[in-house]
Amino acid sequence: MTRTTAVRPPRSRGGRTAHPFLRYALRRVLTSLLLVVGVTLVTFVLTNLVPGDPVAAALGQRAAEDPAIVAQFRATYGLDQPLVVQYFTYLGNLLHGDLGVSTTTHNPVVDDLAKALPATLEIALGAIVLSVIIGVVLGTIAAYRRGKASDHVLRVVSLAGLSVPTFWLALVLYYVFYFQLHIAPGSGRLSSDFSTPPHVTGLYTVDALLAGQLDTFLDAASHLFLPVLVLTLYTVGLLTRFVRTAVLEILDQDYVRAARAKGLPTRTVIWSYVLRGASIPILTVVGLAFGSLLSGTVLVEAIFAWPGIGSYAYQAASHLDLPGIMGVGLLIGVMYLLVNLIVDLLYGVLDPRVRLAS
Amino acid sequence: MVFRSTHTARTVRSRSTLIALAAAAVSLTLLVAGCSSGRTDTADGGTKTLTIDKAFDLKTADPGRMYEPTGQLVDKALYETLLTFEGGDVSKVVDGLASLEQSADAKTFTLTLKGDHTFSDGTPMTADDVVFSLQRVIGLKGNPSFLLDGVTVTKKDDKTVVLTTATPTPALPAILANPALGILNSTVVKENGGTTDETDTAEKFLNTTSAGSGPYVLDTLDLASQVVLKANENYDGDAPGYGRVVIQNVEGATQKINVEGGSADLALDLSGTQASALGDSVAVTSDPSANVIFLLLNQNPSVSAVTSNPDFVKAVKEAIDYDDLVSIAGTGTAQAAGVVPSMLLGALPESAKLTQDLDAAKADLAKSGYAGESVTLNFPSDISLNGIDFPTIAQRIQSQLKEVGITVELAPAPVATELDAYRNGTETMGLWYWGPDYPDPSDYLVFTPGNVVGLRSGWAEGANPAISSLADAAAAGGSDEERQSRFEDLQKALNTDGPFIPLLQPGNNIAAAKSVTGVVYNAVWTIDIAALSAK
Repeated sequence: MTRTTAVRPPRSRGGRTAHPFLRYALRRVLTSLLLVVGVTLVTFVLTNLVPGDPVAAALGQRAAEDPAIVAQFRATYGLDQPLVVQYFTYLGNLLHGDLGVSTTTHNPVVDDLAKALPATLEIALGAIVLSVIIGVVLGTIAAYRRGKASDHVLRVVSLAGLSVPTFWLALVLYYVFYFQLHIAPGSGRLSSDFSTPPHVTGLYTVDALLAGQLDTFLDAASHLFLPVLVLTLYTVGLLTRFVRTAVLEILDQDYVRAARAKGLPTRTVIWSYVLRGASIPILTVVGLAFGSLLSGTVLVEAIFAWPGIGSYAYQAASHLDLPGIMGVGLLIGVMYLLVNLIVDLLYGVLDPRVRLAS
Repeated sequence: MVFRSTHTARTVRSRSTLIALAAAAVSLTLLVAGCSSGRTDTADGGTKTLTIDKAFDLKTADPGRMYEPTGQLVDKALYETLLTFEGGDVSKVVDGLASLEQSADAKTFTLTLKGDHTFSDGTPMTADDVVFSLQRVIGLKGNPSFLLDGVTVTKKDDKTVVLTTATPTPALPAILANPALGILNSTVVKENGGTTDETDTAEKFLNTTSAGSGPYVLDTLDLASQVVLKANENYDGDAPGYGRVVIQNVEGATQKINVEGGSADLALDLSGTQASALGDSVAVTSDPSANVIFLLLNQNPSVSAVTSNPDFVKAVKEAIDYDDLVSIAGTGTAQAAGVVPSMLLGALPESAKLTQDLDAAKADLAKSGYAGESVTLNFPSDISLNGIDFPTIAQRIQSQLKEVGITVELAPAPVATELDAYRNGTETMGLWYWGPDYPDPSDYLVFTPGNVVGLRSGWAEGANPAISSLADAAAAGGSDEERQSRFEDLQKALNTDGPFIPLLQPGNNIAAAKSVTGVVYNAVWTIDIAALSAK
């Protein structure tokens, strides 16, 4: 009561009171939109700074020797225009949702990304959910048992999860679980004797269920197992260490000591006091980890033959496919901004001081 | 009262739980009962699926635009060509859809359709389809257009097409066997945006539906993940051994595990090391590939006064330990005797290959006046050719040349960025490879002064008249025996006086489940999928 009267919500010019959360959310959304424009500029400049000629990379060596073919290629992809014109054309097209046409696949980049994104989302979502559950539990246990054997074990395990190269881990786990133990399926999103479920979301598990194909659902889910496991092991390491630090800080707070002194059960203290207090820093690192999962799965996708954003980015980069590279750069930038925006908005939900201060 | 309300609440709660569980069980049962299957085996009438692992470089399935190894593999199954090769022998062209009559001057090629052929939709094939398909490749100005540079295509009658060229083109029969020149159903393609010029918009259609007469038809195509083929019910040849083929995009390391584990029947991109580590459950076919890895030394003095010195070039040729390079490259790899790979007409015999001679290398190095200057070796750092990494080869060359006193500075760069310097002829030393555009030795005339690869090594026209006249003689055509002899002479001269050092033909290793028969490596399309069958 005292708090709400102490920080009076600002009034709009019309005299009507704007909801503090809405004002906060609007400000964050506008900032994110400005950043998107910045991301396009940075992506465009960086892409064009790369030494090398996209014509040489895209055309076969014989075709690249024919001036007529080269001229046609440059005209088709707008490479014969000055860079400034190319950039503003790109921005103009972007407003219509057009990211250009890939010089590698000859498809609109939007279509390529729309196909690749659900594949990455499917493993990234699985990994982040598991990582948060496991990381929060392990990090809290480690903090509560600070200095004891279990704390040391968990710290070593989390450090190992962070340090082991994901490429190597993916290959080893694939060899063990698929080849040796026969408890995981082969690479790819589906076994070769299954056909792709009718496209609705692009998430095979969801689309299979929507189509009523239970066997396809089970097969798609089983193919998620190893990629999700590899990504989870890495992210759990990160989250465990971070949660431990955040919980340790909260444990020293007076209100937690008071709760314990009152004799509240440990479970209540953890849920209602400790984790609630640590939620903002945890949320921050979860957001960053999710962004990293969406953009940093190149090697894992390569091992598991997973046709996601990472694979697409690698293919675009190796062919100097400028529209493809720009598209991936923009998508990853936007995804980070989106995740940050969601995290910022959740700050406002979790902590009233944030939205009122803004 | 309190007791009663708690009791009631508990009862309601447990009843709700029971109801929820029962509902879930019923829903699951209904779901399972009402489920369709996503499996494909039954749809093919029990025909087996063949799964092939391949590291994709696929850009399109449209023959007029396709010119990548994965595209060749796919289009070979979907489209038939006028001429073809039998099995793995690419030194001899045989009849395909048509028979060939060639003029003595190699300028006129008359192709007559043999028998009656039908496309996958049942439409009969005519000379109009042939003319449209070849003219489309020329007019699209795509990657394979160069194959028919300077070729005029005309219809003689409903069964006959005549190809003419202004200059002798003895390579044309071998070129016509390329899947990029597969014959399309012109009516269907035209209905879907097909033309014989740059306005053509049929690629999208051809990436969803094939319009050929090959043993398979395209079921689905995803450039990033997999291509699915189904047997062509209207195919007029022998029915293929597998009713359904899935070609999936998988990297080499995973391919090895997949083929051993049984989720793939064939793995096409195994390195020599991976192939030799395979267990008994799979059969491995190892052959030298048609790619030739070579070293170039720039002959342009303004690029390098060191490498343009003929004695320095000789010293480098004598300093390299070729056997060592072959051994690190692994199973299937062979030393390239000349720039023309061993399976092609015109290849040099093994006895003519370059050999290491350290004493001669030191003597020639001294003669060149080399004073220990650092020489830069450029190479693509991200290319793995048949499992051989270029950085590994470059490092080994660096240490071998050090033995005779040559200092080499390695300059790796991603291929996309290094290609420019290579194509502009500004590299001092370069480590690259040449894959045949078509399996005929005339494709290797580019290694002569004033031609594409010659210019990349700073070897301008007129730089070596003797070699140029040997090249002219080789280009003129003639019988197979004459051509063999002329190309041998040319390559012997290149090995002695040229700026190129042929190093390796990396091994092409195909691992197949023991149930698969008919695996034969072909330098153009890797394997003929339709020739495979199950034991």
